[in-house]
Amino acid sequence: MEFDFTAEQLALRDLARDLFEKESPPSRLRELWEGAERDPSCWRAMASVGLTGLTVAEGFGGMGGDDVDLALVLEEAGRAALPEPFLETVAVAAPLLAEFGTGEQRMTWLPRIAGGEAVATVLLGGAPFAVDAGDADLLIAEAGGELYALPREAFRSERIESEDRARRLYSVSFDRSPAARLSGGAERGFLRAAVAAAGMLNGISMRLIEMTLAHVKSRNQFGRPVGSFQAVKHRLADAHSFVESARAATWYAAYAIANSAPDASVAASVAKSYSSDAATAANRAALQAHGGIGFTWEHDLHLWLKRGKALEQAYGSATEHRRHIAKGIFEERGDA
Amino acid sequence: MDLRYSDAEEGFRAEARAWLHANVPAERLPVADTREGFEAHREWERTLHAAGYAGMHWPESYGGRGASVVQQAIFVEEYLLAAGPERINVLGLNLMGPSLMAHGTEEQKRRWLPRILSAEDVWSQGFSEPDAGSDLAGLKTRAVRDGDDFVINGQKIWTSYGAYADWMFALVRTDPEAPRHSGITFIAIDMRTAGVEARPIRQLDGHAGFAEVFFTDARVPADQVIGEVNQGWSVAMTTLGFERDAPAASPARYLRAVTDLVGAAKARGLSDDPVVRDGLAELYAGAHAYRAHALRTLTRLSRGESLGADASMTKLLWSELEQRIYEFGRHVLGPYGESLSDAPLRNPRLWNAYYWFARAATIYAGTSEIQRNIISERVLGLPKG
Repeated sequence: MEFDFTAEQLALRDLARDLFEKESPPSRLRELWEGAERDPSCWRAMASVGLTGLTVAEGFGGMGGDDVDLALVLEEAGRAALPEPFLETVAVAAPLLAEFGTGEQRMTWLPRIAGGEAVATVLLGGAPFAVDAGDADLLIAEAGGELYALPREAFRSERIESEDRARRLYSVSFDRSPAARLSGGAERGFLRAAVAAAGMLNGISMRLIEMTLAHVKSRNQFGRPVGSFQAVKHRLADAHSFVESARAATWYAAYAIANSAPDASVAASVAKSYSSDAATAANRAALQAHGGIGFTWEHDLHLWLKRGKALEQAYGSATEHRRHIAKGIFEERGDA
Repeated sequence: MDLRYSDAEEGFRAEARAWLHANVPAERLPVADTREGFEAHREWERTLHAAGYAGMHWPESYGGRGASVVQQAIFVEEYLLAAGPERINVLGLNLMGPSLMAHGTEEQKRRWLPRILSAEDVWSQGFSEPDAGSDLAGLKTRAVRDGDDFVINGQKIWTSYGAYADWMFALVRTDPEAPRHSGITFIAIDMRTAGVEARPIRQLDGHAGFAEVFFTDARVPADQVIGEVNQGWSVAMTTLGFERDAPAASPARYLRAVTDLVGAAKARGLSDDPVVRDGLAELYAGAHAYRAHALRTLTRLSRGESLGADASMTKLLWSELEQRIYEFGRHVLGPYGESLSDAPLRNPRLWNAYYWFARAATIYAGTSEIQRNIISERVLGLPKG
């Protein structure tokens, strides 16, 4: 019984944290917000340390990691509000290709993903938009309950204006071609995306709470730090407890998926619904405790507030995942 | 990360399950708030002891089995699934025993530890007072040295099992001039001592689970002080540390409480009500997340780590979850919620008692407000108000 990460997994987290801080600092996010194009150097740097190949088998040039190995890296991606399709490429597309792709699809894509030469995006669960589809070499799209792995020339994308300007959204259209079909994975892919989004959300929530703590410790009113008032403290204590338990729920879901545990599907929905709710609480507490300065364009807070609002709904909202949980408890276990 | 139990742990689970199946009384014991009910529960504690399931976590040298925290958590879970009786001996087994092992003299350990284990002595905890609840260091019960005794005057309150317990471990003020935390002494008091009077407090659920205890010139031998005179606060902090670092409230309880409500919802024809489905799924998610949190703390405890202020998060999480589950249960039950005999539940009276007990969960063992203070100050580093 060991519910914790190994020294190697913690080292990978530190590596990711350092790299994201260097390659994707808030100043870089700002540039994207002001209209700069995606700069592929960040992705190249991620590839050079193996992050893009984290979930790709060693035989294809990757690190051969699983969902648990990825869990803390996703939190770091959230903490950095990383403006890259890391979740889509590494947490979803690569494992889907490995599990459900043909030999040729795996040969074509996995080495290129590991090497950082290909980025992927996904369109799952009836989502209207795909992140970074304009830059993507590969789209994994769901249609009629089936997944299709579509190369660049097989789909079209059109940029959609988004509230988070560092999150490039596209509407996409494509034709189903039988040759592009994967052998399955629509549900597993969606649940993986949900757990990965939960992990990123938890990282965002952690960053929001860190920023808020720094603010309320230094901001004085009535002759003392506003963080000394119980009305402020208690709200942050609640948000912190919520987020920490959301992290545990998300790690559990990653473990359950990696090990194909019987409760993997419900655990994934628990992770996403609970982490989304925790993120809402952290998001609201953060802006409230920042007061007026948090509502300004110049303060970095809103970069994380907006990414959080996007991911709360992405890959299944809290209510959507609760519908899934309810199905489980009402139809399978509800005869208590 | 590996959530499998070892063969030895699975073996222990099977053994505990079989024993509980064979030994848990088929009929519920009478409630422990009468002498008869209390003695029936004491008898059950003796049965547990004889089978080696009392003080499992005590070292073998003190008569326990040196069980790991994982084994303890397994036993708690199996005990719950077997619907075992209320444990009236927990204050002795979990708090007084380990405190004695840490701070007691050899003579004190020999005198009390075996009798705690066998439930010959059931202990109560005399910490809270009418004017010292959340602010424990404000306690006023006075103990004055007189020859070989301390003479004690004052009052304790919210004393669990206070009406029937044999002994109490108490905090008393021995130096009123010293700073608040420095003049306190930790002392063992025989409840049969002249001048000690326990009056049961009837709770809003009708039961008398705790008592107020009055001391009027009660003479307590000075050799019953645990640790040094005026150093009781640090002994008490050790005691509370044992409470803090015990395996958390069992997540299985909350998962089951939610699935019980699913059954009630079905019986009331609410299976397709989207609000009920969403609400129960939300609580199920909360219980599932709490389970993951408990696994995380269990891992830390098995490594011998102390949870420190993080234990406040655990208490806050389970007590608020418990309360939300039972509160939503009122919506699921609707007009059947007020019925003690006719509701779509296995035992409506028991459910009602659990509802009200859940309302107390955010008050006892440190209110949610105190837990939030601790989390914000000692975990998040926010300044004191």
